[in-house]
Amino acid sequence: MSEASKVVDGFLFMPPALRAWISKDIPDETFSGKIPWTPLDKSISETTFTLMTSAGISMKSDPLFDMEREKTEPAWGDPSYREIPKTATERDIEVSHLHINTAYIKQDINVVLPLARFREFEKEGLIEKLAPTCYSYYGFQLDPTALLNETMPQVADRMRQESAEAVLLTPT
Amino acid sequence: MGQVARFLEEKGFSTVTLTNTPEFHRQVGIPRVAAIEYPYGRPVGQVHDQDGQREVLTAALSVLENAKEPGQIFHLPFTWPEEPKKADWQPSEISPIVKLNLDEIKRLGAEARKKR
Repeated sequence: MSEASKVVDGFLFMPPALRAWISKDIPDETFSGKIPWTPLDKSISETTFTLMTSAGISMKSDPLFDMEREKTEPAWGDPSYREIPKTATERDIEVSHLHINTAYIKQDINVVLPLARFREFEKEGLIEKLAPTCYSYYGFQLDPTALLNETMPQVADRMRQESAEAVLLTPT
Repeated sequence: MGQVARFLEEKGFSTVTLTNTPEFHRQVGIPRVAAIEYPYGRPVGQVHDQDGQREVLTAALSVLENAKEPGQIFHLPFTWPEEPKKADWQPSEISPIVKLNLDEIKRLGAEARKKR
């Protein structure tokens, strides 16, 4: 297959049994419902960005995401969020996640929350600006009710206060 | 993360989701998808690979500019430099939900092997 026609296999890295278990809930058909849409009506060089990852990153000065409760209630995932200043580096953070190897993020935060790369993009004028605050929550959310109804409205308000217009999302 | 992308688009933000698992789009309906065949937890690239990370991010940003309607998936052309089995992305301990469902997971794995 040529590079140009690559089709990403989202399960390439997954053991076959785990692949079978996770994909049983994914329909074969294309999504046919309505999808919310905010067009970007300007160039990225005029756009203020923020970043959000579900990698469970917290500042060392903030509480960790709650992994202990999940160990006793395996269907529960911490629905809270943490603010990560745009100036943060791997030296400033903790990473809480029971579903991935967190060692790489602790070595280089940019593998999942690319703060340094976006600071470079801002300096070079590729983007207008990286907003002062970026965000992390915790990606294991079997029931996303609290995340969507309680946490994300607060995040959206913070994003709006800082005039963010576009968001790069990096799931884990 | 697809649900979060949908929430933010509803609130007036343009999003691009740089995901290792574009298949979830079929379940959730994600507004703009940049699909990357990299291991879970490292969608932007390898540790300290500044140039490689920049290439992936530049491609993700171009998805933001080029997507003209909701639900388009852009498959990024990058290939992870290690064998998938050597990517070592899994946690050191089996996650609680996997541990809880281990019997079913093993059964589905056995069925999948039979089908091949």
